Amino acid sequence: MYERDERELRAVTDHLDDRGDLDLLRAANPVSATTGPWRDRPLDHVAERGLNQLLHRTRARRARRRVVLWAEAAAVALAAVFALTMPDLAAAPATAAAPGALHPRDDAAVTLDRLADRAESAARDGGPRLRAGAHVQTWSLAMDEGPDADRPVTLPEEREVRWRPDGSRTERVEADGKFLSERVFPPSRSDAPPRARPPHTAAALRAYLTEVHDPGFPRRTTPAGTQELLDALPSLLDTWTLGARESAALARLLADSGGLRPAGTVTDRLGRSGQAYVHESRDEHLRYMLILDPDTGEALGLEVLFTKDQPRFAVEAGDVMSYSAWRR
Amino acid sequence: MSTDDSFAAAYREHYWAVSRFVARRLDAGEAHEVEEVVADVFSIAWRRRAELPAAPLPWLYAVARNCLANTVRGLGRRRRLLHRIGLNESAHGNQVVDSPDTERPGSWVHEALARLSPADQEALRLTTWEELGVDELAVALECSPGAAAMRLHRARRRLRAEIDRMQMNVRAGRAGAESRD
Repeated sequence: MYERDERELRAVTDHLDDRGDLDLLRAANPVSATTGPWRDRPLDHVAERGLNQLLHRTRARRARRRVVLWAEAAAVALAAVFALTMPDLAAAPATAAAPGALHPRDDAAVTLDRLADRAESAARDGGPRLRAGAHVQTWSLAMDEGPDADRPVTLPEEREVRWRPDGSRTERVEADGKFLSERVFPPSRSDAPPRARPPHTAAALRAYLTEVHDPGFPRRTTPAGTQELLDALPSLLDTWTLGARESAALARLLADSGGLRPAGTVTDRLGRSGQAYVHESRDEHLRYMLILDPDTGEALGLEVLFTKDQPRFAVEAGDVMSYSAWRR
Repeated sequence: MSTDDSFAAAYREHYWAVSRFVARRLDAGEAHEVEEVVADVFSIAWRRRAELPAAPLPWLYAVARNCLANTVRGLGRRRRLLHRIGLNESAHGNQVVDSPDTERPGSWVHEALARLSPADQEALRLTTWEELGVDELAVALECSPGAAAMRLHRARRRLRAEIDRMQMNVRAGRAGAESRD
């Protein structure tokens, strides 16, 4: 036994002259580039699918950065349609109609601080619990970029995420009332947000959303600000349906962050009544409007619209870039 | 070439290299685990694609290092569980096993490597397994080339010290065995 050990060690130390230590490590490389499952070769179907998803997701996200002129009349009609049909996902017709920007009625505005108080009070009284999975309806824009860009068109999409007890999840997507896809994702070992269970205190939720916004790279030293929180919010709400405590924490976090102006009451695209809070991003010429349930602080929707013409994308000031509506 | 095209090209060219990087650090975990982390790596890289340098691979390794730091938290819990139930061999996953029929000193090297600090280990692995030069090492470690060279130099010195120490231990063990004979 010891003879062999020493023989091996002598082989090791003999190598240690010059750059031999590095050569030894090279020889001990556990994963080969020429054989085995990770060898160099053309992309397999998993890798191809991953690339396609990234490219596709970008188009969808870009679409959200495009604008559609949505007729107010269409918005009203649409709200009625959804109010009638949304409870049944299978029967809910997603629509190609493009509603215009929502217009809060500048009355009975509730400060975010006050709303956070209400939400905390509601959470103390019970209320719904946090649930894995989400049901979201989005309207976003498919657009061209460049001097000859066409006016963008709306991409309505309805997505339902269901988690199973084993940690796997299914994502069912419909567009224009048609079934698009249903994919099953295996259980994820990653516990990075937004896969991690969201916390129910404002401070922890800020850290959580900061990590959603900038996952791991590079390490941030400052927590996310209001606009970053709003940018990260859909990732959280597309993954989890918040409970009363988490909704209260979110309202408190946003109240503490500042930069959100109460804009009054509004009827959202699903016909629900909410309080609108507006954040202006002057650098990017964007306006965020977050709609919260007036009693529980639950996030109902988020609208982002352009506040300045963007000829490059053939969009105009007042065009809605994206709208997400979350429901239980 | 647009940023998106550059990203797609980097993805196609380096997907397997990034997969190997992840597999080595997950102790060549199961394929779907590696794929999942690699998907996260490219997803983050995608968001940062405006920063994609002309030579993207070391930069992708930097993204992957940070990404693994996140996922390893979950992994750590799993491994602790495996340790508790006595399955830590697979969790450790030393790929080059010490067996009588091998003349390769791989197990010694792995053992010596495992005794170093994580920072030393990473500098050595990136240099040998990912075959990075010092400038590339600096990108992957997100430090200056001078700092990277110094880290590698120190890591090598400590690796040799560990191997020397192991050799002394074996000799001492052998002497002890002989005196008992």
